[in-house]
Amino acid sequence: MTFFRFFKSLQAKYMLIILIALFVVQFSLIISSFILFNADVGKLERDYAGVEDKWHQDAGDIQEISKETVVALFRKWKEAYPEASMFWVNHDGRLSAELDTGKNLPEEWDAAYTAQFIKNRYDGNPFTVVAFLGQKDNRGFIVLEMPRAVMDNATSDRTWVYLATFLVLLFLFMIISLFFFRQIRKRLLNLQKAMALRDIDNLPVLIEMKKDDEIGQLETAFNTMVNELRESRQREQQEEQLRRELIANLSHDLRTPLTKMRAQMDTLTEEGMSDDGQQAVQRLEESISRVDRLMENLMSYTLLTASKLKYQPEETDVIRHVRTSLASWYPLFEQENFEIEVDLKPFDHTHWLIDPLWMDRVLDNLLQNIIRYAKDGRYIGVTTETTRDHDAIVITDHGPGIEHNRTERGAGIGLSIVDMMVQQMELDWDIESDAHGTAVRIKKQKNHDGNDGM
Amino acid sequence: MARILYIEDETDIGEWVTQRLMEQDHDVTWHTSGDKVDQHIQLSDIVILDVMLPGLDGFSLGRRIKRDKPDIPILMLSARTAVEDKLEGLGFADDYVTKPFHPDELAARVDVLLRRFDKQNELLQLKHLTVDTQAMHITNRESGEEIQLTGKQYHIFRYFLRHLNQILTKEQLYEGVWDEQYIEGDKTLMVHIRHLREKLEKNPASPVIIETIRGIGYRVRK
Repeated sequence: MTFFRFFKSLQAKYMLIILIALFVVQFSLIISSFILFNADVGKLERDYAGVEDKWHQDAGDIQEISKETVVALFRKWKEAYPEASMFWVNHDGRLSAELDTGKNLPEEWDAAYTAQFIKNRYDGNPFTVVAFLGQKDNRGFIVLEMPRAVMDNATSDRTWVYLATFLVLLFLFMIISLFFFRQIRKRLLNLQKAMALRDIDNLPVLIEMKKDDEIGQLETAFNTMVNELRESRQREQQEEQLRRELIANLSHDLRTPLTKMRAQMDTLTEEGMSDDGQQAVQRLEESISRVDRLMENLMSYTLLTASKLKYQPEETDVIRHVRTSLASWYPLFEQENFEIEVDLKPFDHTHWLIDPLWMDRVLDNLLQNIIRYAKDGRYIGVTTETTRDHDAIVITDHGPGIEHNRTERGAGIGLSIVDMMVQQMELDWDIESDAHGTAVRIKKQKNHDGNDGM
Repeated sequence: MARILYIEDETDIGEWVTQRLMEQDHDVTWHTSGDKVDQHIQLSDIVILDVMLPGLDGFSLGRRIKRDKPDIPILMLSARTAVEDKLEGLGFADDYVTKPFHPDELAARVDVLLRRFDKQNELLQLKHLTVDTQAMHITNRESGEEIQLTGKQYHIFRYFLRHLNQILTKEQLYEGVWDEQYIEGDKTLMVHIRHLREKLEKNPASPVIIETIRGIGYRVRK
């Protein structure tokens, strides 16, 4: 198993390429010999040893020695090697046949002259091969002479073949290794791209594994990781779901008895009772409302600090949104005999990137606080303000101010929620408060580069 | 008077709400579970549903009712106040009231829903006018004359009556009546309201039927 795996690995492939590189020289020799061997032997057998062997072989192969057979041999060779000259000295030492020798050879060849001739020609020019005819030594010999220049030219032709083959192989090797690395690079780049891809749940997408090599293993490891991430995300979601449910159920369980209390008190009021009794019921009623609101805020705060309250920003016409929110609050202020002043002028950029539900919550908390803690002022103003640096919604009351408001501590948590939500929506806010009133500004800073948030 | 089907498993709350709604001249059928909804739904003008119910929960029940009878308004009454719950509820229901609620608030919201769904056949007394909300006959009680409205005026006034006592911003009104996006600065609505006031108001210069809520919008109040 691991053995087969090894052959699929990039390492094995790379080693193969290196081996090929090492053998390029040998390969080129083998391949060039193959090319030469397949070409016309008679014409191309031109290296010294080859010619010598062949001359000896042809001389030995002659069965019947006569002038005709020897001359026929000479003619055959002449065809293949037009530059060559040849002659035959028979067993009596007489020059019996010659071809292109220049006619300056002696007629008689005794042993001394022959030895002298061989000695002179050894390694000399022209290149000379002396071969005995037939299988026996005393049949005479034939001599082949060839100018060394011709032989050398031919040899350099051969060198060319070797060199070309070598270069071609080298080139081929380079192409293969380049191709190999390009292939790896391409797959790595694809892998990188695939890793950067994100699913709708913002987790990486699974990668299809194509080959069982190192990169393939990397892909498998990556997929394992993605799966683990998914599982943990799922666990997290389940936990979050549990938490939400817990809070929702807790809220339900706490509110149901509150509702029952209110029902009982309502019934009490219907029964008719003394003024003191009425007042007591009234106070109880207010306490119920307060507990209700506190619980609401506490839960929002818990969810908010745990970042469990989903923030879904969208381009919102903030003026219109504030106006709609005020429309629902208006009757409450009216009922409490507030003087209500609303003056909302459109900003240059009226669309803010905010979560409308969150904005509602912010406004609800601020307006709720005014009804609860600034009732004495009997005034609420909601206006717009535009300065060089910011657009703002300003909510003003004429209450006793926040510092003077320590009798009821409910405002705190409501304002903490406002603070957190405003910051999350990338807005600013500030409170100016003194004994004569409070002004809350919800501000959107202007971007002076000229493109603020639109 | 309307026929109300009310599902609530808490007997204390159920008794109390039933009693309060009956005091408002409504005919209330109260059940502690949703098992018999199908038998009563035919004879109901509005359904009030608690979310946490034994058996089929309020959300599923509400969805089923809305699917079968889309013209019956549903008011969810719940102690679950999380935004998600409200959103889920308002996905099909027409209103969502959280516990602990005030009985007057509940009654007011029931009225709003009945009006919105034209379930209430009432003779509305608006200052010097009497309005038959179903036939949309408007009569000036002092002179006894019937007031005729043109198409758009009629639509605007009916929209006001369906949202009686609610403040409507000019965007809400325009988009509710014309059914297209309001463009800032458009004067069409104001012109129509002026004409409407000329017909309805005793003194169009200081209107009392269609109030102007400065900086916010308009309101018709009972």
